[in-house]
Amino acid sequence: MTAAILLQLVLNGLAMGIIYSLPALGISLIWNASGLFNFAQGDLLTLGGYVMLSLFGKAGLPYIPSFIMTVAVMGIIGYALSQAYFYPMLEHRVNPQIILIGTVAFSVFIRNLVLVIWGTTPQTYKNPFGSSVLQIGELYLMPHVIWIVAIVAVLLITLQYFLRGTMVGTAMRAVAQRPTASYLMGIRNDRMIALTFMLSTAIAAVSGVLISPIIPLTPSMGGIIAVKAMAAVLIGGLGSFSGALLGGVAVGIAETLFAAFVSSTYRDIFIFGVLVLFLLFRPGGIFRASVSEKV
Amino acid sequence: MVKLFKWLKKYALLIVMLLLLAAPSVTSQYEFYVVQRGVQNAIHVLGLLILIGYSGMLSLGSAALLATGAYTYGILLVKVGLNPWVGAALAVALTTFIGTGLALPAFRLAGPFLVVTTVGFGEIVRILILNMEPITGGAYGLAGFAKLLPSTRWVYYLMVAALFLIAIAVKRIGESRLGLALKSLREDEVAAEVMGVDVRRAKMVSFALSAMLAGLSGVFLANLTGYLSPDSFTAAESASYLLMVVMGGMQSVTGAIVSSIVITSLPEVLRFLSSSRLLVYSLVLLVYLRLNWVRTGKGSLAGLMKTLGFPLGTGRAKDRS
Repeated sequence: MTAAILLQLVLNGLAMGIIYSLPALGISLIWNASGLFNFAQGDLLTLGGYVMLSLFGKAGLPYIPSFIMTVAVMGIIGYALSQAYFYPMLEHRVNPQIILIGTVAFSVFIRNLVLVIWGTTPQTYKNPFGSSVLQIGELYLMPHVIWIVAIVAVLLITLQYFLRGTMVGTAMRAVAQRPTASYLMGIRNDRMIALTFMLSTAIAAVSGVLISPIIPLTPSMGGIIAVKAMAAVLIGGLGSFSGALLGGVAVGIAETLFAAFVSSTYRDIFIFGVLVLFLLFRPGGIFRASVSEKV
Repeated sequence: MVKLFKWLKKYALLIVMLLLLAAPSVTSQYEFYVVQRGVQNAIHVLGLLILIGYSGMLSLGSAALLATGAYTYGILLVKVGLNPWVGAALAVALTTFIGTGLALPAFRLAGPFLVVTTVGFGEIVRILILNMEPITGGAYGLAGFAKLLPSTRWVYYLMVAALFLIAIAVKRIGESRLGLALKSLREDEVAAEVMGVDVRRAKMVSFALSAMLAGLSGVFLANLTGYLSPDSFTAAESASYLLMVVMGGMQSVTGAIVSSIVITSLPEVLRFLSSSRLLVYSLVLLVYLRLNWVRTGKGSLAGLMKTLGFPLGTGRAKDRS
């Protein structure tokens, strides 16, 4: 086992981990803005992947326009979901447990919608990044690994600028911190929360688009990714931007290494085991989140 | 009219039980199987009623406990060769034990943290069943175990009798000191602790009771199907059990039983929808949650009737207990 192979595994794990960390980030953003935990995040990712399949794989549009259209369509869906379902429930102070059950229902709904529209057979489209292996020294890498890391890095920097540097982003964070005070300052809470949902759905869609070269699309793939993303967000610290990112990457790398060195069948058990240990001994995650609040 | 409603409400459980007892004589063999599955699910859902409805701890790993009960029964009979009754007792005991263990994370975690833990537990159990092939049969499934009673019909009567006793017990637990403690936990944990409720004990009992019923339901499942496969214990199954609890009103024992049987038999009624069945389910649940909870703030059937504009009897209690 040379260092090059180890590095290669870590890089592959990194690409997978980034795929996990985007829905994890979405969960974190929604949690901050509304105190809701969205179980449907993984299935929104699947839906994004399938929209991309229709636009790029079936309709034959070029890659970049179909990427942008997918993200836009998913963003609109997220906005609509929030305005039609989540905000009215929040406004009427419905028990968070009930809203949580609602997101579970959403997850089942989207999964079956995908199943009815696109069918159960695993589908894939042409890898836009090329499928020839790159060789750098002793390293053998698929080009999509580098592209995924680069695209997500750009996305995250833009997102960070949007949340910290613009007026809308500041308003969104204000709603997350003190809803009543921000409402009195003239911020429209319903719009800001809808915007948060839009943002997190769009991020999940990016993940769904990028995942295709790594694993083929199936209607139920969102389930296992959602579980990993939830593990990532809890390991990293719920509500923390860097926590979601770091948690996702940690889960991706850990499962790749575990699969390579120990056993690939018990890979998922290992991740859940780590998650349970984290929840028991450090429930706040790496970046401590307040566990008992907002519940 | 009002009197009729009151009378119906008072004897609802008895009426449902009588209907269930009459079921084998009026249904075809296939319909009877569906009713059997409905009754078996109802036992499991009553357990979830204690956990989710009374104590407000959401679980999405309940199918895993069902699997534990069913597989323990199957393995003990096929591989060890025990008597079915002893196997059933051990299966229920083991499931209760494991389920009580699940209460440990619940001491410290609430809300989504707890739900994700239960999801993780569900996945762990499913993966273990899938991969421990020498013991569980893996993806091929497990078959060839004996039934508790020789005839399917007698198993069914046993199940209905068990359901009746459990329904009464769950109802009485809801009104007892323990039930009130659980409900206070749901409303406000800190306040409950201040009032002298032993929070840990209450949570543990809640998990133990619900696991016990899940184990029992699993044993009956093994009896009904005669074949176990990991596919029947996925996260989607857990979600549909959750659906049954929610549609039953989350508080009412009779509601939970009726909703389990109705939702179990819906696939047969809605056969023309074929693969979009779950799509319709989840949509109905979403509309139900959205309309019912936003307009009335209540999750009961009464709330839904109010939403839909049906007249209601007077003198309905205001509190949610």
